[in-house]
Amino acid sequence: MALYQYSWLILFAPLCAFFVIVFGTRMWDIFSRPRAGAASVHGDASTAHASDAHGATGEGHGEGPVQDQEYDDDPTVPSLTMGARVSGYLAILIMGLACIYSWVIFANTLVTPIPANINPIFTYSWGVPGFDIAFHLDNLTVVMMVVVTTVSLLVQFYSQGYMGNSAGYARFFAYLSLFAFSMLVITFAQNFLVMFIGWELVGLSSYLLIGFWINKRAKPEELRPSPASAALQAMVTTRIGDVGFIIGIMILFASTGTFDFTQLASRVQGMDKAVLAIAMILVFCGAIGKSAQFPLHVWLPPAMEGPTPVSALIHAATMVAAGVYMVARTFPLFLAADPAAFAVVAWIGAFTALFAASIALAQSDFKRVLAYSTISQLGYMFVGLGVAGPTLGPGPGMFHLFTHAFFKALLFLGAGSVLYALHHATHKEVQDMRLMGGLGPKMPITAITWLIATLSISGFPFFAGFYSKDSIIELTLTEAHNWPLYIITLFTAGLTAFYMLRAFILAFGGKGGKVFGLWGGTYRGVGNPKESPWTMTVPLILLAIPSLLAGYWLNFYTYLSPKAPGINLADVFTSPFTLVGVIVAFIGLGWAYFLYGNVELAKLNAIVQGNAFLRTVHRILYHRYYIEEFYDLLIRYVVLGLSHLEQAFDAYVVDGIVNGIASLITTFGRDVRRVETGRVQAYMVAFFGGVAVLAVIVIALVTFVRG
Amino acid sequence: MLTLNHFLVLGAILFCIGLYGAISKHNAIAVLMGIEIMLNAVNITMVGFSFFNQVKPFSTYLTGQIFAIFIITVAAAEAAVALAMIIAIYRKRDTVDVSEIDMMKY
Repeated sequence: MALYQYSWLILFAPLCAFFVIVFGTRMWDIFSRPRAGAASVHGDASTAHASDAHGATGEGHGEGPVQDQEYDDDPTVPSLTMGARVSGYLAILIMGLACIYSWVIFANTLVTPIPANINPIFTYSWGVPGFDIAFHLDNLTVVMMVVVTTVSLLVQFYSQGYMGNSAGYARFFAYLSLFAFSMLVITFAQNFLVMFIGWELVGLSSYLLIGFWINKRAKPEELRPSPASAALQAMVTTRIGDVGFIIGIMILFASTGTFDFTQLASRVQGMDKAVLAIAMILVFCGAIGKSAQFPLHVWLPPAMEGPTPVSALIHAATMVAAGVYMVARTFPLFLAADPAAFAVVAWIGAFTALFAASIALAQSDFKRVLAYSTISQLGYMFVGLGVAGPTLGPGPGMFHLFTHAFFKALLFLGAGSVLYALHHATHKEVQDMRLMGGLGPKMPITAITWLIATLSISGFPFFAGFYSKDSIIELTLTEAHNWPLYIITLFTAGLTAFYMLRAFILAFGGKGGKVFGLWGGTYRGVGNPKESPWTMTVPLILLAIPSLLAGYWLNFYTYLSPKAPGINLADVFTSPFTLVGVIVAFIGLGWAYFLYGNVELAKLNAIVQGNAFLRTVHRILYHRYYIEEFYDLLIRYVVLGLSHLEQAFDAYVVDGIVNGIASLITTFGRDVRRVETGRVQAYMVAFFGGVAVLAVIVIALVTFVRG
Repeated sequence: MLTLNHFLVLGAILFCIGLYGAISKHNAIAVLMGIEIMLNAVNITMVGFSFFNQVKPFSTYLTGQIFAIFIITVAAAEAAVALAMIIAIYRKRDTVDVSEIDMMKY
């Protein structure tokens, strides 16, 4: 009981870490810094490259020679200050405690269910009933809480290595803590208001973290924006969805008079199904923005410009998971609405899954492949939520979120490990897979853990992703009886397997390597990359375990909704759907292996460039269907055109009215002030004249009107 | 036989004389005198009304006469203040011509 009652400590722990770093250790550091800052901020022998001096000034005015225009990263420091170190340790310690506590709670819920009378675990009233800040704890919260704290902890631990010489080290940990807190607010929210607060906090934290390297410039030749503009794009794009979200909340509140999820679930039964469906679709717009679904997916790939641990956090546990979690949380409301609401969820999910997976096929940037794979996998989660129906509840979608969190965090942290190694080997930022290859033997831990995650996301049998993804694909037929959805999700599964193994082989293997090209091969870059330090490999190993085993939580569905049946392993392995799914996954994997493990990359490029059809397809996919260019044109000509019109309206009509009235009054006042002569007798004449006129009027009225 | 009308007509004539003096005279003291005449015109009217409206109770019709006494008192005070101001203005500006005292204009 008390164990559950104090679970709000998990929620506030990261916030506490944030404030302690911002107002405590960071301040201490700033005040204890030697006055002559020049000595302390320069690259040392171990990390110094010629270009470091440019980035190391911190203010953006390079005193050193700008030799490499491309390298304008984050300012670096030779060694971390005491305050920065303490900040990192503190954030990790607090997150570690929160993580342990959430695992204890989780283990306890498996034994004894959460008693109903503990909710809400924390309330703060504004004094207006119905608008409370309230947090509650149920099984759905526990699942998400475990994911968020675990992934945040590992990401923070990993960041010790990855951000090791960053001048913004303490700031980075403060932001990571704030991010974890924001997501936990959404996780614990008992009503829409609190969820919306968390929702916007997540947006803010992701903005701060994506734009962490504020001095970095755009790289147009690689289609990469600057982190600052990527952060802005994330903020603005998700805000478009948030408009729908808040309108949906308002419709719900206007119809039922409550924000509380539990009360809403019972009160919406009396609502008109069509109105409820519209409200829920509007609420889902928020999820489309946050979880980067089709029309609003454009912010997620540019968000790769943030530090890689941030990408891992955004993609695994926090930002994009918020949308899925929100739909899972409002699942009863969607169920009560017209089936159209869930159909929209499922179809947007399915379309996005296919769309993003097809783009991922042709991307050459290591992290972008992962970005599109996240968008695609989120699509799966929405399909899972959309087709599950009343019995299974949010189980299938959340199960995929749960397993995906681990292997996607692993994929990103692994990618970060590769980028870190390449950065140290080449002194440049290398993200292009065409400049990798054969890294397997050079960095075995990263490669093996990455392979595990790759197989997991591809739906290779016995890995975590296999159970969660195949059950969603199967549900499209068994629950929704929807053949088009089944075919789309199945085809996408094949694509997923293809592009993930492609990325693996491009980075870690290649023709001429061992194990038929999966291991080793020629390294196409420069320098000699080495395995990353232990602070980075330990989280990879720890994440590899749930990437393998998370799928064996067989009664996950029952855990979330008591009526739902668990997964039966015997059924899974005898089902024809599984067979089809595995075959499709193997086709995808085999195809990728055949193309990239057997053929030289240069030769493959030549083939694609030689064929007009393949070249066009590759171009379209490489440019992401030109959606971003389309949005650019749309905003540049349509939105900006409209705003020019409005600007003209404002300048000429609105300002004209206001200024016209003002000048009229000015003229009037300028002329009429002559009346004020300052001569007392003139006033007297006016006064008595007025009295005389009034007297005449009164007499006339008395005589003629009354008489 | 004196009637109320006689009083009212006298009051009106005096008021007009006073008003004319107050408006047309340039000398501040003459203006002041005009104002005094206007005040006394009102006094006559008050007393006239009071005298020709003797109804019970006693206190009701006495109001006009008491009011007249008050006006006389206030007029005395006013005359004192106004004369003091005129002297002060004279010391400052060497004139008591009201048409020249127009510092408060736009």
